[in-house]
Amino acid sequence: MRKALVRLVALVAALLLTVSACGTSPADPRSGHDGGGAVLSISAIPDQDPQLLQRLYGTVSDYLTKKLGVTVQYVPVTDYTASVTAFKRGDLQMVFFGGLTGVQARAQVPGSVLIAQRDIDAHFRSVFIANADSDLKPVTDVAGLAELAGHSFTFGSESSTSGRLMPQYFLMKAGVTMDKLSGKPGYSGSHDATTKLVAAGTYQSGALNASVWDARVKAGKIDLSKVKLIYRTPEFHDYHWLARPDLDQRFGAGFTKKVTDAVLGISAADPQGKQILDLFTAKAFVPTEAANYGQIEEVARASGLLR
Amino acid sequence: MTATQVEDGAALEVRVPLPRKRIRHEHRRRRWLLVIVAAIVASVVTAVSGAGDVMRVDGFGSFLEFFQAALHPRADAGFLGLTATSAITTLAYAVLGTLVSLVIGLVGGVLTSQTWWLARPQGRRAGRVGWFVTRAVLVVPRAIHEVIWGLVLLAVFGLDPMVAVLAIGIPFGAVTAKVFSELIDEAPHGPYTALLAAGSGRLPALVYGIFPGALSDLLSYAFYRFECAIRSAAILGLVGAGGLGFQLALSFQTLQYNEIWTLLYALVVLSIAADQWSSFVRTRRTTRVLGGSAVVAAVLAAFSWWWVGFDPSVLWQGNTWTLAGRVLADAVPPTFGGQSPLDLLGLAGITVSMSVIAITVAFFGGALLAFPSARLPWLGLRRRSGGLLWTIRSGLCKLILVLLRAIPPPVWALLFLFVFYPGVLPGALALGVYTAGVLGRLMAEAAENLDGRPLRALRAHGTAEPLVFCYAVLPAVTPKFVAYGLYRWEVAIRETVVVGVVGAGGLGLLLNQQLASFDYAASLTTVAALILLTLVVDLGSAALRRALR
Repeated sequence: MRKALVRLVALVAALLLTVSACGTSPADPRSGHDGGGAVLSISAIPDQDPQLLQRLYGTVSDYLTKKLGVTVQYVPVTDYTASVTAFKRGDLQMVFFGGLTGVQARAQVPGSVLIAQRDIDAHFRSVFIANADSDLKPVTDVAGLAELAGHSFTFGSESSTSGRLMPQYFLMKAGVTMDKLSGKPGYSGSHDATTKLVAAGTYQSGALNASVWDARVKAGKIDLSKVKLIYRTPEFHDYHWLARPDLDQRFGAGFTKKVTDAVLGISAADPQGKQILDLFTAKAFVPTEAANYGQIEEVARASGLLR
Repeated sequence: MTATQVEDGAALEVRVPLPRKRIRHEHRRRRWLLVIVAAIVASVVTAVSGAGDVMRVDGFGSFLEFFQAALHPRADAGFLGLTATSAITTLAYAVLGTLVSLVIGLVGGVLTSQTWWLARPQGRRAGRVGWFVTRAVLVVPRAIHEVIWGLVLLAVFGLDPMVAVLAIGIPFGAVTAKVFSELIDEAPHGPYTALLAAGSGRLPALVYGIFPGALSDLLSYAFYRFECAIRSAAILGLVGAGGLGFQLALSFQTLQYNEIWTLLYALVVLSIAADQWSSFVRTRRTTRVLGGSAVVAAVLAAFSWWWVGFDPSVLWQGNTWTLAGRVLADAVPPTFGGQSPLDLLGLAGITVSMSVIAITVAFFGGALLAFPSARLPWLGLRRRSGGLLWTIRSGLCKLILVLLRAIPPPVWALLFLFVFYPGVLPGALALGVYTAGVLGRLMAEAAENLDGRPLRALRAHGTAEPLVFCYAVLPAVTPKFVAYGLYRWEVAIRETVVVGVVGAGGLGLLLNQQLASFDYAASLTTVAALILLTLVVDLGSAALRRALR
């Protein structure tokens, strides 16, 4: 028995030695860290069809590696809270945040730098939808949303700007506070789940990202005899690239500007650039500024999502 | 039972009155049964009251759509490759997580056993205090869901494989410690007492006196934990390392059902492989099989270590502990975050009622599927006459059980939400069917491990199969089933955290919202409430088990 144990320990030790000599691990979230030199870790949690970008992220990191002269590593993360936490720790140095998570991240890491937003992010909208059998009718202005009082309602993910924060803001503007809804508001977890749950009648109404709705309608994925559009909100700003304040210290003076230029320079004329823009469902990346997110910050504060 | 038998029994009772102790025990048992029934009724009433309608028939289409996709999983080469690498990553995290949990479980199991603390007659009182304290300490990691552990550990270790390994290892280690301590306490104590009396130390006495007798159960449980770790690794998608959990989360976000099924099939294959390995080791416990398994486990561990780039040095490196301190400082002092203590109590009530319904569904569902899926050699005839039919039936039930537990609770929650109105019920059913898959496996194993001799003797006397089942099998397995049920009830409380989607409120949803707004101080209060709830459930189920024994 003892002999067997000694043999087993020896085997494990030998295996570990071999293994540690084998070089990079295929599934290491920090792969690249041991490669020597500075590594820029980036991540993104896109709203629409995230699986496309999250599974084909090599294009993005390759492109930026080429442009920046440092190794760029894309770290796929699915959870909003997790990405903000990793950004705060400095494990992620540049992240494509949603409007709300970006504001939250800036509150946690003061001095973070806004790099760029997509062309479509300046003109983001949410849509309010209703089950076709409900008595809810299409309305033309925010005040019209007052008709949602007394109906059940679902948001998308808790941290979503277009699926939760701005819809809540527009509801409040129409005088529909959360306690005026029938039952507690739901948190379906995603835009597609919101559509499905309203179509199934679980909730009489809901709100989601307008571009996701449009894309699904266009693709014929939504049964319009079961769920209808009742309101398209005014525009607001949403997603943007946010960088940590210490990029220049880590990668040399002027690096933040270099990154900004590289992102803004992604062009559809270049085949690789086109591929990236397609993954981000955008035509171009454009400059942005803190003032664009003032409204989001205000709403986040009012609804307790920012303290 | 025939009429004469009943009369015989009655006559017997008149002649020889039961000892008073038995009667008191019987009364206590009845009281507990009453409490159970009352708890279930109260939970169901909470679940269905308030909102008028409960169920909607027109949602069935959306419910079935998911299962129809099972026939058309996404199977292009690219996605299959992705699934394969993800499955390996999940397996690697499960292996490392299980190893950590086994280490914690062995050490913690010994330290929380009565055998350890109450070994010496002198200092019994101190021993009792020590036992209670260690036991209470182990409730803390157990009460917190792996996903919450993941978020906390992420703040400490950053994007490091350590996060996922510990997120599985710590809570599972605590559960393993609880079960191991019970196995140690229930193992035959003869050799142990003899060694102690001969002047041996506590540890050697334990190693040579207790472990050999408990080894089979310890092994069986370790394998079960491994299978749980595979499923758990498939929920932890946040570590940034890929894995089935990450891919499932992505596909679930956009409701790509065909992709979800491909990933689920990979999970099922991993589960079945772990299961087969387990039953192989359990049924053929030769030195060769055990040694071979140990070597395979070692190779697997080393491979996993390399695959995820595991590096234990982060534990003592640089600023890890400063960061851990800062995470704690962010959460202290805990606040109520806008909730009154009374609100919290109400939410705890919802969580409890959800878990009670869930475990009721799981208990009966699991038991119903467990018997036909178990290999029951003592029912003899079956195997000879209806061999093929039996194999098919057993395989089918096993497959259903594995599918029930492979589909993650959040997915079940959304599916039930198509058919039910938001509230406690869809959440309870989601946890219920998932837990039924887990319980059914445990129950089938318990039934297979029954002592077959008395049953075969009954059969040899010509007792009909259904009678053997009702009067010999059921009474023998019931205590084990109840024990498993109570243990999973505690887990169900923890799992309510991941079915927040059903909109039932409860502590889980509150915790999700507090984390989304980075309100760590309020999160800590909610977590504390969950810990308290788990402690109450732990003590309650211990009392219940004593009463039913």
